[in-house]
Amino acid sequence: MKDLIKQYLDHGLSRRQLVSGLSALGMSTVAAKAVAQNLSPVAQGAAPPTAAAAAPTAIREVEGNGGRLFVEQLKSAGVEYIFFNPSTGDHPIFDALVDVAEIKLIKGIQEGAVVAMADGYARASGRTGVVVVANIGLPNAMTQMVNTWKDQIPMLVAVASIDQNALGRDQWQETDHHELMTEPITKWFWQVQSTAAMAETTRRALKFAATPPCGPVFLSLPTNTLEEHAKTQVWERSKFDVPMRIRPDKDDVEKAARMLIEAQNPLISIGDEITWSGGQKELIELAELLGAPVAGEMGNLGYWSKPFPTRHPLFIGTVLRTMRYPGKPDVLLNLGNRWGEFAALGTKLISIRLDPASLARGAPVDLGMVADLRLAIADLNAAVRSMATASTLKQIADQRAAKVRAYSAQMAEARLAIARGLSDSSPVSMERLGIELEANLDRDACYVADVDSGKTMDPLMAFGGDDKQYFGTGPNVLGWGMAAGFGVKLARPDAPVVSVVGDGSFLFSGPQPLWSMARYRAPVTVIVLNNHSYNNERNRIWNSAGRQFETARDMTCYNGDPDVDFAKAASAFGVEGETVKEPSGLKDAFARAKSATVEGRPYLLDIHIKREGLGAVSEWHPPYSVADLRTRKV
Amino acid sequence: MRVALSGLVAFAVAAATPALAQNANPLPAGDGRDIVAVACSQCHYLGTIAKIRDGAAGWRMYVDNMVLRGAQLTPAEIDKVVDYLSLNLGPGANLPPAKPVTLPDGAGKNLVETRCELCHDLERVATIERGRAQWPAIVANMVARGATATPEEAKTISDYLAANFGN
Repeated sequence: MKDLIKQYLDHGLSRRQLVSGLSALGMSTVAAKAVAQNLSPVAQGAAPPTAAAAAPTAIREVEGNGGRLFVEQLKSAGVEYIFFNPSTGDHPIFDALVDVAEIKLIKGIQEGAVVAMADGYARASGRTGVVVVANIGLPNAMTQMVNTWKDQIPMLVAVASIDQNALGRDQWQETDHHELMTEPITKWFWQVQSTAAMAETTRRALKFAATPPCGPVFLSLPTNTLEEHAKTQVWERSKFDVPMRIRPDKDDVEKAARMLIEAQNPLISIGDEITWSGGQKELIELAELLGAPVAGEMGNLGYWSKPFPTRHPLFIGTVLRTMRYPGKPDVLLNLGNRWGEFAALGTKLISIRLDPASLARGAPVDLGMVADLRLAIADLNAAVRSMATASTLKQIADQRAAKVRAYSAQMAEARLAIARGLSDSSPVSMERLGIELEANLDRDACYVADVDSGKTMDPLMAFGGDDKQYFGTGPNVLGWGMAAGFGVKLARPDAPVVSVVGDGSFLFSGPQPLWSMARYRAPVTVIVLNNHSYNNERNRIWNSAGRQFETARDMTCYNGDPDVDFAKAASAFGVEGETVKEPSGLKDAFARAKSATVEGRPYLLDIHIKREGLGAVSEWHPPYSVADLRTRKV
Repeated sequence: MRVALSGLVAFAVAAATPALAQNANPLPAGDGRDIVAVACSQCHYLGTIAKIRDGAAGWRMYVDNMVLRGAQLTPAEIDKVVDYLSLNLGPGANLPPAKPVTLPDGAGKNLVETRCELCHDLERVATIERGRAQWPAIVANMVARGATATPEEAKTISDYLAANFGN
């Protein structure tokens, strides 16, 4: 086993070969995958073997129809799953999969759910999510591709499309140049031009999707290209992988290190690119080395991960335009945060980004660098250490950190006191639920959140570092959470997975993701925070102080009529569940959910949550009745 | 009918006017205004705060909620902000002009006019029908936030509203 691991770390073996080797030694597949995952040099974003190390068999000649060539290329690239919903035109792909055991089909029953499952899988595994759905269902898929696009998650979405010889005849499911629909939300879109080009075009799509900054790509596969035969090459991923682990310029790093050492009041702003680069440990080292406060997340809007431990004493919460604490920074270090470049006048802004497109996009940057965040932070750590003695650095850090630690401890206590004051309200307060989740969830749980109103709950819980891992979406296109929870569980079968969605999110996705959980026995705990409202949306709308606010008429956001029974809906899809209306019922309900998941079954908790904020008590909504429009009872 | 402003409140309005003219800050002058202006404007418009009237308990709910969302206010500052808001934007304080609304006669009319209008004009009450069962919950919420009403008065108010604006 030692030899196998050595070969893998020396890039002499692919991940797949390592897993096969470990399995051959008697290790279970799950354990072998866990070993491979642990050996991965980054937390997310699996590092591929280098092109130079690839074995000669990395290129194979394959003959078959387009469907087979598509599948064989995916197989050679290491794709494990295809998330799909069937359509007639895709049949050559599904036929080919009969004889390809390496790729498993994961079925979803609506295209949006299929994409969100693949998206969750990609976020948790660092691998590319591959989706095959119906041509005419593409707009459904696109709703969730927006999350994938904005958060720069690697994904290939393919559809079987109209036969090239019949294009332009306005057939019943034909929309002219449908691939253009995907242009604003893909890195690349293309129509495969011939069967001979199938494998090459598929490779290119995978390359674009997985080259950081990653993102979704779209392939249109005309049915004739899937059905006709050709002989062509398929390549292993190592042959078309583009290594983007780029180190920043040494002089710039030294300049940044000097600015940070000499700063009177530095601040570090953090974002998702650190998570993708796997630079969490280096970030902790940097923050502690400098004694600098770290700010970044703003609820789950704009961010999908929490790359710094939220219970760390240097974490001060949300990054704001005017930081009352620790006061106006003289140096702001923005690390991989798309929304972190807004330094106040007089603040020097250093910004290190994986994505050059959004670096210095809307704000002046004093020192910009494009680099892999893990490498950049590691280099910054080394540069800082090289510029001052350990005792000098400790003195600087201790002085800065004392102030920050006092503030973060005081605020943590204040938040807990607020939450405890609200803990007995009925229905359950969001704050009570936050306290209960923190007490009841396993520390290694993956927490998949798709709930706008959850912002008041998150700061009561611990995420990042050795605590729960957070998965959300930056743009908050609702309807993602349950399906993504399934995808996260598929990627991390040995971690407890909790999918927390609002009633709004559930109603957007519908119960469709539960079907896949039941079909594939995915032991995910689904928690529906049911406040019968788009609660945060109402607060934001009313905050404009317009006529709805003036007249106390919630024209848009109340969802409680009809009062949907989500546990009953889950039951219809083969998922056990229950409704919790009182805070006293939470603990036992969590225990029942845990028992079910331990036994390998999904479980849903429909928790009735108290609305809060402007207009929270009102249940009024515009009283239209279609039945009343009738002039006769038909 | 609209209740008269107390002398203290009338003074606060007069004192606030020049400041509003000078810097367009919609908040009335008072100890704590600067904290509110800086801490709250990081995320949202201040004009809505200026339009809300709420009791001390109600304001604390809003402020606590904002702290959980990331507002940078220490416990001492939370108290200061709640005090500022309760004093300057509490029931009857600095009320903007109200739209004239005539309520139907009945037991409770006077209470609605004298208590409810301390925080909001009666357009919020008298232009739509709500479920009859909703009114007691709404009135209870107002009392919990700081509206003045004995349990009997609260019942009279909700009975009146349910009878005249309930369905």
